[in-house]
Amino acid sequence: MLCILALIIFSILGIFSASQRALAREALDCVFRRVTFRPCNTGFQEKIKGKILSKLINRSVFLARIFNKHYEIFSWTLFILMVGSTIWVLRGGYNFYIYGSCNGLNESGFCAFDPSGENNKVTTIGNNSACGITQKSEKNVTLSNVDLSSFPTQNIGSKDTVVFIGCYACDYSRKAYPDIQKLIKEKKTNYVFAHYPAKGDTTFLGDIGYCVYKDYKDKYWNFNNYLFTADKDFVLNKANADKILRSFNFDVKKVNECANSAETKNAVQNQVTELNKTNLYGTPTIFINSKPFVGPKPYRVYKSTLNKFIFF
Amino acid sequence: MLNTDKIRADFNILNPKNGSAPIYFDSACMSLKPNKVIEAMNDYYFNYPACAGRSSHKLGDKVTKKVKETRQIIAKFINAQNENEIIFTRNTTEGINLLANSIGLQKGDIVLISDKEHNSNLIPWLLLRDKIGIIVKIIPSNEDGSFNLNNFSELIIGVKLVSIVHTSNLDGVTNPAKEIIKIAHQNKALVLLDAAQSIPHKRINVQDLDVDFLAFSGHKMLGPTGIGVFYGQYKLLEKLEPFMVGGDTVLSSTYENYKFLPVPEKFEAGLQDYAGIIGLGEAVKYLSQFDFNDIAEHELKLNTYITEELQKIPQIRIIGPENAQNRSGIINFYMDGMDMHKFAIMLDEMANISIRSGQHCVHSWFANKKIFNSARVSLYLYNTMEEAEAFIVNLKKIIKIL
Repeated sequence: MLCILALIIFSILGIFSASQRALAREALDCVFRRVTFRPCNTGFQEKIKGKILSKLINRSVFLARIFNKHYEIFSWTLFILMVGSTIWVLRGGYNFYIYGSCNGLNESGFCAFDPSGENNKVTTIGNNSACGITQKSEKNVTLSNVDLSSFPTQNIGSKDTVVFIGCYACDYSRKAYPDIQKLIKEKKTNYVFAHYPAKGDTTFLGDIGYCVYKDYKDKYWNFNNYLFTADKDFVLNKANADKILRSFNFDVKKVNECANSAETKNAVQNQVTELNKTNLYGTPTIFINSKPFVGPKPYRVYKSTLNKFIFF
Repeated sequence: MLNTDKIRADFNILNPKNGSAPIYFDSACMSLKPNKVIEAMNDYYFNYPACAGRSSHKLGDKVTKKVKETRQIIAKFINAQNENEIIFTRNTTEGINLLANSIGLQKGDIVLISDKEHNSNLIPWLLLRDKIGIIVKIIPSNEDGSFNLNNFSELIIGVKLVSIVHTSNLDGVTNPAKEIIKIAHQNKALVLLDAAQSIPHKRINVQDLDVDFLAFSGHKMLGPTGIGVFYGQYKLLEKLEPFMVGGDTVLSSTYENYKFLPVPEKFEAGLQDYAGIIGLGEAVKYLSQFDFNDIAEHELKLNTYITEELQKIPQIRIIGPENAQNRSGIINFYMDGMDMHKFAIMLDEMANISIRSGQHCVHSWFANKKIFNSARVSLYLYNTMEEAEAFIVNLKKIIKIL
């Protein structure tokens, strides 16, 4: 079995070194003999074994003796490990392409928050004590039983729907936002936007956004794009809110009155309550045809999801 | 007694100033080269890289002079009657092939060889057997590898040529060349001696031996690779047909005819390896400063130590006579069921010890004895007792893990 390992290793090294290429050829000859049920008596196996043993023997005669005695077992073990690790590497490569992370979903950065206060629980002392923090998982994030009807929506009758839950103050949301815009433009999907105040004080922008969507539906999406793409410090400064509204020719007084009304506060709070039903724990949370992604992913990941190129 | 410290200083590769020196125990395959040999060759390439014998300029004259000098040095070294008995070849193999293809063997002629011949002294004869129908007879050795004169005496009748190894690269046994030649001549057979392994370690006197032909290589006697010598008694060389012909072998030629030059030129076709010839001359000069008895004594001391230590290890079997005295500088050993390549690789990797493993170009003997392969230690004048001890220490380590 060592000859198969050697063939793979020396073939890779052979890309860079001619001497390793010669060894790869010897290994190939050996493998060919093994697969045709002939003994590998070319001396290659002994050469490799000798080289390994000579390294071991200078460190520990005992280890060298064990290796020499159980050489076939070691060879098989290494072979199986190599096959296993190769599969793992391939899976990692696939994950990286599909999810933007070798480990699969939920490993990229996001703006974490804890709406249920679960992470602030006091751990009990005693034999049965357990950490109050539980690992969050994308698998538990869902749109089931979530009413999205009150959120800004572009419904163009597509079979695909993208839901973007983001926060104006969250850098990760701001990073993912252009890709999502590109996606919906390119793939012409239905689109739902939800603002979730995950970081800092962005509630006022949520309230304003609610009112702008209510009164200026046609201009809302440009306004929303601006909030995600303009200078963050400028946008998040309450003192600049009127200036921004004015730049879009909105009725500043009307929007402010709407935003400060109890009705709006109540409606926005209801929206947040609906969003909490998704079990989200960070922004951006993006649903593409109900498949959740927490944190920004490479554009190809979103696109692959729409193309249904995900196997597991 | 040899001063190994002084000798080792003459070899760049063994000089401790140049880093960790290898423990080189593969001199039967290829000896190391003293710096003087390399310098002489470099001098040729740097300062007078011209042709010998044909160009009428100072550089050419110098090469001609150097080649002539080397021929004289070698003639003196083996006590040939004159320098014209020395023919430069590439190596021993070429020398043997030269004779095989020049002596004019006919169908039914008998060539006698031993059962421990290097492929170089087996294949040329087997090829002639297949091509023209000569008969190749094998002299069986004694059980311990020593030469059996009785077997030889029985087989010599009707033989045209005895082609035999002087010192075997397999087990280091030196055949009784003088007796063999005497018996052969009594039976009107010519004798070719393969001296590749003997000439680096023993003083060879071709006149005293009364040998007809002798072949040896430069690379085993401190000289460069690609150069060897074929010696023949002048009167016999004159009768031989040239092996290879062409440039520098003829006195004159027309479109219809040609006239060969006398010996040795008629056997040295084409441009010669002048650097190699000059290097070989330097190697022979270097070797000539030592008393060969001292070299033999030094090798015997190391061989005896290694042999005694190996004999303490029950799994190890030494090829050839038990007594180190009968094995020159060679200790060839094997273990039943063990691929000895592994030994050689491990010694090299563990302690930078270079030994040879395999069948040492004597496949016929290994096939006959049904031995897979062996590991061979071959000693020379630059090896030391410390190296022999290091070899044994590391060998024992390997034995422990098997």
